[in-house]
Amino acid sequence: MNNKLPRTMHPFFSEKTILFPVLLLSCIGIVMVYSASSSISMDDHNNLFYYMQKQALFFCISLCVMFVTASFPYRLYKSFAYIILMTSIGLLIAVLFPALNTKAGGACRWLSLGGITFQPAEFAKLAMILFMGYSLAKKQKMIDQFSIGFFPHALIFGIFAGLIIIQPDFGTIVVMGLICWGMMFIAGVKIFHLLSPLPLVIPIVYFLVFKVEYRLLRILTFMNPWDDPYNTGYQITNSLKAIGSGGLFGKGIGLGMQKMHYLPEPHTDFIFSIIGEELGLLGVLAIFTLYTVILVTGCKIARQADNMFGTLLAAGLTLYIGVQVIINTGVALGVLPTKGLTLPFISYGGTSLVASMAAMGILMNIGASSKNEK
Amino acid sequence: MVNDPKKQIRQRIFIIQILLVGCICLLGIKAFDVQIFDFHDLTKKAELSYSKDLIIKGERGQILDRYLNKLGTSIDAPTITANPSQILDPIGTATALSKILNIKPKALEDKLSKNRQFIMIARKVSPTQATQIKALGVQGIYLESDSKRFYPNRNLAAQVIGFTGKDDSGLEGLEFKYNAILEGGIVKIRVKRDGTGRVLDINKKRRIELKGNSIVLTIDKKIQFLSERTLEQTVKAQQAKSGIALVMKPSTGELLAIANYPGFNPNNFAAFNKNTYRNRALTDAFEPGSVIKVFTVAAALEKGFTPKSIFFCEKGKYRIGRFTIHDTHPREWLTLNQIIQFSSNIGTAKIAETIGKKALYNYLTDFGFGQKTFVGCPGETNGTLLAYERWSKIDASAISFGQGLSVSAIQLISGISAIANDGMLMKPMLIKKIISNTGKELQVFAPKQLRQVISPKTAAQIKTMMNMVVQKNGTGTKAAMKGYTVCGKTSTAQKASKLKSGYEKNKYVAAFAGFAPQKNPELAILVVIDEPTKQHYGGQVAAPAFKTILAQSFSYLNIAPEKTKAMIAAVIKGEEH
Repeated sequence: MNNKLPRTMHPFFSEKTILFPVLLLSCIGIVMVYSASSSISMDDHNNLFYYMQKQALFFCISLCVMFVTASFPYRLYKSFAYIILMTSIGLLIAVLFPALNTKAGGACRWLSLGGITFQPAEFAKLAMILFMGYSLAKKQKMIDQFSIGFFPHALIFGIFAGLIIIQPDFGTIVVMGLICWGMMFIAGVKIFHLLSPLPLVIPIVYFLVFKVEYRLLRILTFMNPWDDPYNTGYQITNSLKAIGSGGLFGKGIGLGMQKMHYLPEPHTDFIFSIIGEELGLLGVLAIFTLYTVILVTGCKIARQADNMFGTLLAAGLTLYIGVQVIINTGVALGVLPTKGLTLPFISYGGTSLVASMAAMGILMNIGASSKNEK
Repeated sequence: MVNDPKKQIRQRIFIIQILLVGCICLLGIKAFDVQIFDFHDLTKKAELSYSKDLIIKGERGQILDRYLNKLGTSIDAPTITANPSQILDPIGTATALSKILNIKPKALEDKLSKNRQFIMIARKVSPTQATQIKALGVQGIYLESDSKRFYPNRNLAAQVIGFTGKDDSGLEGLEFKYNAILEGGIVKIRVKRDGTGRVLDINKKRRIELKGNSIVLTIDKKIQFLSERTLEQTVKAQQAKSGIALVMKPSTGELLAIANYPGFNPNNFAAFNKNTYRNRALTDAFEPGSVIKVFTVAAALEKGFTPKSIFFCEKGKYRIGRFTIHDTHPREWLTLNQIIQFSSNIGTAKIAETIGKKALYNYLTDFGFGQKTFVGCPGETNGTLLAYERWSKIDASAISFGQGLSVSAIQLISGISAIANDGMLMKPMLIKKIISNTGKELQVFAPKQLRQVISPKTAAQIKTMMNMVVQKNGTGTKAAMKGYTVCGKTSTAQKASKLKSGYEKNKYVAAFAGFAPQKNPELAILVVIDEPTKQHYGGQVAAPAFKTILAQSFSYLNIAPEKTKAMIAAVIKGEEH
């Protein structure tokens, strides 16, 4: 490839097909967080702009973090792979101690350290991607052996899943599992190996789904939300009402009705519904297009990376965004059962935004280094 | 299998890319399906969930005094409803609500557990309760904008204003009579509300836009208050059954106060005896007694007699057929002046004999007795004044001094005011104007002259006689007030027996009617005390109350003593020279 870019071009600016969609989505996010949360903000904090102001601050912090990760040579992560892995496991254990966590909605997902509250599970996803990339690349030669290529990585996921199920955060486990299997698939793990846990997983899933009442309810209502629109089907039916009533052009920013205490968490989990209602199909398709640009660029970076670690890391980070987008919007559109997942770059929440943008910084760095070295 | 691992990895990345982008495409198609094909269906469903057809009834108009002080008004009182199918925790909700609303939790719990879309929980709750319920933030509980009638001055003019029932329609008094004017407009509108049931539309604003018209009365809240206070004190001090006090502006016929005691609190009318609801100043007729003598004498003056004309008063006993008329102060000869001053029954009976039944009847009718005044309150009485053709000899005599006819207090004050107003009878006025919710005057009522009953000269002569009543040796000396020329007439009527013919021995109606100042009277006042037990003469019972009301009203209205006025006039005249 004839690379005309000057060597001094910073990765942050060279990867425009990542940078611009991310910036656009984040800005749409700030506007939509304002629109979706103003009613709740007014009630809870007597300030229309409460969540929007915080989200704008998170965005500034995230932008700095993205710049730092874009500047940081990604190969160096290899040396920290174990430290990062152990730290994130440590944080996941810490969140289980009542003294350190902050409960929210019956689950303990939040860790308070030195005045900062964040979700360790969000960083666990990145930590797992880094470690998987490192480990799968290192074992590249014997990747088709079950005990080397598959088992250790499945075990790492198992440890994370075990820690996160206690919180409990089923959505994150699904996301991590999909990323993990995706990365193993790309690294060349045999399909037969990838499918081998099925006999084990089916009873576990059965237990988790059918023994925990609220998950079963979620799945049952997902199939027939209009049977009980006021209780179990409440979230899905209201999300569909929101998106459906948006039509082609939407009702206009700020003019949606479903955020008025109909949709729960309109500024986090169900922000996509508000986008559908206020910006219409055109807004929805625009957002899908922006995500697609990021995903396609991510896959391109993965293919073009000049070493196995870079390829796998880039693929993992791309999956990280892609899986969450698909699950979050799938839930909002009523094709997937309800999960408590955020929409990357758009949903309100500091941890999610910082993690997503940090991931995009790393992706940019991989992309830029492969270009620069050719 | 592919041999080149790098190529295989690229292929697998491509597969992942296809999967991710494919999923997003599928979601895009699903969004298209939801937003284009299901658009109408889902929009309808969405609108159903946040819209509701509401019948909005505008707030009821106000009843105001002459200075637009609120006598009857409406305050916010939301109605609490619920959608039980949206309530997740009926027991907890019922417990919390029952604490705030003071109702039994069990009954509420049953209601909330029903599989229905709408139930009524409580109508017209207080603003404090509404705030507490809002603070609960329970899904499925709704507050609907509503208001209830409130009478900020409680008992004040309660019998005049009346009250409304649960559905805000008037049941008594002006609230009843002017219901159509006061009532707010009704519209059916579609409102939007948020997930907690708060109505987002300008429902409240609409209710104010639809607000009914308001009535402005001629009543002066201050004078009404001081009249009621004086009346209550008098009734209590005399251990009387009840009392009426009226204050009128003679030049216009405007009623400044209509006081009835005992009263009731219209905010809680059910707790009071129904008898107290009546505006007895208009609805009840009574035998007026000697106060009628001024009208008899007025007739005599109009018929050519002079204040100096003398009548033989039979030394206190005068037989007419089988009846004997008595005077409290027996005299031989009395002038017309003295007949009024000493309130001689025999004197007035002689006048009636002299001028004849027909003339007496015509004058009494001209003064407004025996007919409704149409002042605007419901249930007004005609009183009783038989046609003169049906009067026996004794009837004519009795009527001349106030027995054998009955009048309402409003008729009496109008008649007295006509004398005060140089013989011109004014239509009594209670409603000054009707204004719209924006304050626009829809209807303004002007004072209405009914007829010149007696000549100004006769009126002046009667005034002089009535002034003598409150002077030394008169029957109403207790009504005299320093600095002002007070005119008045006492009345002490034995009550007609309900069981047998004739009169009850110890049951009296004590009254005093009068006005001041003699020249250009500012106020005419009537005080009627029913069945006083401590004393029974009008001069002792009613005259002091008359004076108190007069003195306090004059002080409030800043009416300077006549002497001071004269002095000021003199000073101004002096300056002119």
